[in-house]
Amino acid sequence: MNSSLAHLLARPDIWRGDRYAAAAVPAVASGFAALDAELPGGGWPRGALTELLVDAVGLGELALLMPALRGIREKGGWSLVVGAPYPLHAPAWAAAGVDLARLVVVSPAAERDALWAAEQALVSGAPDAVVCWSERADARAVRRLQVAAASGTAAAFLFRPTRAAHESSVAPLRLALAAGAGGRLAVSILKRRGPPPAAPIVLEAPRPAPYRDSALAGARPAPAAARSAYRPAWA
Amino acid sequence: MPDGEADAHATPRPRVVVAAARVVVADEHALAAGVESGMGLAAARAIAPQLTAIARDAAREEAALEALACWAGGFTPRVVPVAPQALLLEIGGCLRYFGGAENILAAAMHGCAEQGFAAGAAVAPTPQGALWLAQARAAVIAIDMVMLAAALDALPLAPLDLPAATKRRLAEFGARTLGDARRLPRTGLARRIGAASAKQLGCAYGEWPDLRSDFVFPQRFAHALELPSPVEAAPALLFAARRLLAALAGWLSVRQAGIAACTLHLAHRHCAPTVVELRFAAATRDAGRLERVLRERLERLALPAAVESVRLVVDTVEELPGHSGTLFDGGSGNGDEMVALIERLRARLGEVCVHGLAVVAEHRPECASRLLPQGRSDAPVGTAPRPFWLLAVPEVISERSGRPWRNGPLRLLAGPERIESGWWQGEANGSGQPGDARRDYFVALTADARWAWVFRELRPPGGWFLHGWFA
Repeated sequence: MNSSLAHLLARPDIWRGDRYAAAAVPAVASGFAALDAELPGGGWPRGALTELLVDAVGLGELALLMPALRGIREKGGWSLVVGAPYPLHAPAWAAAGVDLARLVVVSPAAERDALWAAEQALVSGAPDAVVCWSERADARAVRRLQVAAASGTAAAFLFRPTRAAHESSVAPLRLALAAGAGGRLAVSILKRRGPPPAAPIVLEAPRPAPYRDSALAGARPAPAAARSAYRPAWA
Repeated sequence: MPDGEADAHATPRPRVVVAAARVVVADEHALAAGVESGMGLAAARAIAPQLTAIARDAAREEAALEALACWAGGFTPRVVPVAPQALLLEIGGCLRYFGGAENILAAAMHGCAEQGFAAGAAVAPTPQGALWLAQARAAVIAIDMVMLAAALDALPLAPLDLPAATKRRLAEFGARTLGDARRLPRTGLARRIGAASAKQLGCAYGEWPDLRSDFVFPQRFAHALELPSPVEAAPALLFAARRLLAALAGWLSVRQAGIAACTLHLAHRHCAPTVVELRFAAATRDAGRLERVLRERLERLALPAAVESVRLVVDTVEELPGHSGTLFDGGSGNGDEMVALIERLRARLGEVCVHGLAVVAEHRPECASRLLPQGRSDAPVGTAPRPFWLLAVPEVISERSGRPWRNGPLRLLAGPERIESGWWQGEANGSGQPGDARRDYFVALTADARWAWVFRELRPPGGWFLHGWFA
């Protein structure tokens, strides 16, 4: 093929039907080999917005991002957490390997302010990773975040509820997260710069405790002395 | 003559500055209409009926010149204001630092234009020569005396600041440019136009020494600016405040200092002045950063009344030698930009909403995580599993047949982890202290496959609570 066609195909927003798009900026490794194999560029894209659709907190969605945040720590970069659903618990974040000295938490009362803060952070180009939660972001807000992310080299992540899956979005990478069998995490790629994915990827996310099928397998009964002295009123 | 805030939606009206019913200075629209300086006001009104006449205010001009002199301190510490509307900057010592006279000239013109002044500038080896070149609007950079002599020779006499009598006499002799005046015989010239004017001519060409007294930068910065018309909307104040911020940046540069906080007083006619406090994460003297933070504050400010004048006061000043220091040294060189971003976010969202985290060595989970303006990563962490999200208030979950129940049975997968601490604080009261805690913590899996951290309260009346969520 001649050189101008080769130039065109080397662009990050053009790809052939059976291959992934080339990434303009080297991607951040996600830490999960099965996921990296399915992502264009071999990891989370930098300079673009990644949408993660998850319905509830606690499925392992943050564990998916932790290896990337650890990688950013090694390079001495900053991370920004915007609009988190609950207050952060510092010991857990420190134990996961995030550098607390380079983590900034922005928790405004209004969601509009959270989206504004994420956009400002991406435009400024100062943090290397911006993680944002939003319940009611519409297509216009997502578009603004993508434009802001494209103006820099930070990795931007936006958590949205799964009902946004049927809306169209300009984010180049969209994943839907759900619980898999046996305490694993099932990741379905809804949109990527490459061929449409075949089946959900099941990942072994790091869990706080080993998964067991039976109900009280890991719990031990409390010693007798700790039984409460509570007496019901009718006794 | 300074430009005021232009009303973007109306056609621009020509404006003139008048003193004693004569036009002193006309702006470009008036000049295009045919108004000249020196014309009577009635004649000017006849030519351009929609003229706006502004009375000349010497006090405001002096204040503006002083503010500009402070701003010029950003280039050189040797500044000489020449009343009524000229500034001399001695740049021989800082040519190398700025990379040449062209850079300084361009930066100075740009700065003046940003503050709303229309300026002409020139560079010359003698102060009087530079003054005359600038007054004649000849944007010349004369490096040595030969170039200066050639440039001065071509200047017309009219725009220069010679006394009117001198200019008239020189015109009678047939001298139209400075070169013509120089060619006249010297001894006779000094007798006819006066020794002072002859000395001025000699100083311009470098034949006489020209001593000027430097501007003394004030010890304490408190500059006020009267607005040409009352301003209703806060964002429109940014233009006026920009001049004050530029003067502040130059003054700090001369003092080799930086500020961590400054106050802007907005005066209204009938009510108490509004005070806007600006704070910075690190001591700074960068005008761009001051302006960014001020813009964020002004956009959120609601004014009780129209603002008549603006005053900028700086109380404490810190030593800041060399370039602005940063509070945290960025490993990837992003420390400066991150500080600027955090300041912008704080200016708009408030100081409480933007914070960092630190780990505290405490057993009780609600005390183990602390919010700080800047995160810290030094305390050691334990090995027990901890949730990423901790609820501010533990959520009550019900119990069915002895097991916790939340939209389905909770599967307890690890535990119990006994946490008992805080006996010295007594009972938990409403003032935010968690008090004495005796709990058994479990890692639980809910029916919809979410990993939660629940605990069983051991003190009466007991019960199951949900305290946090894992990632």
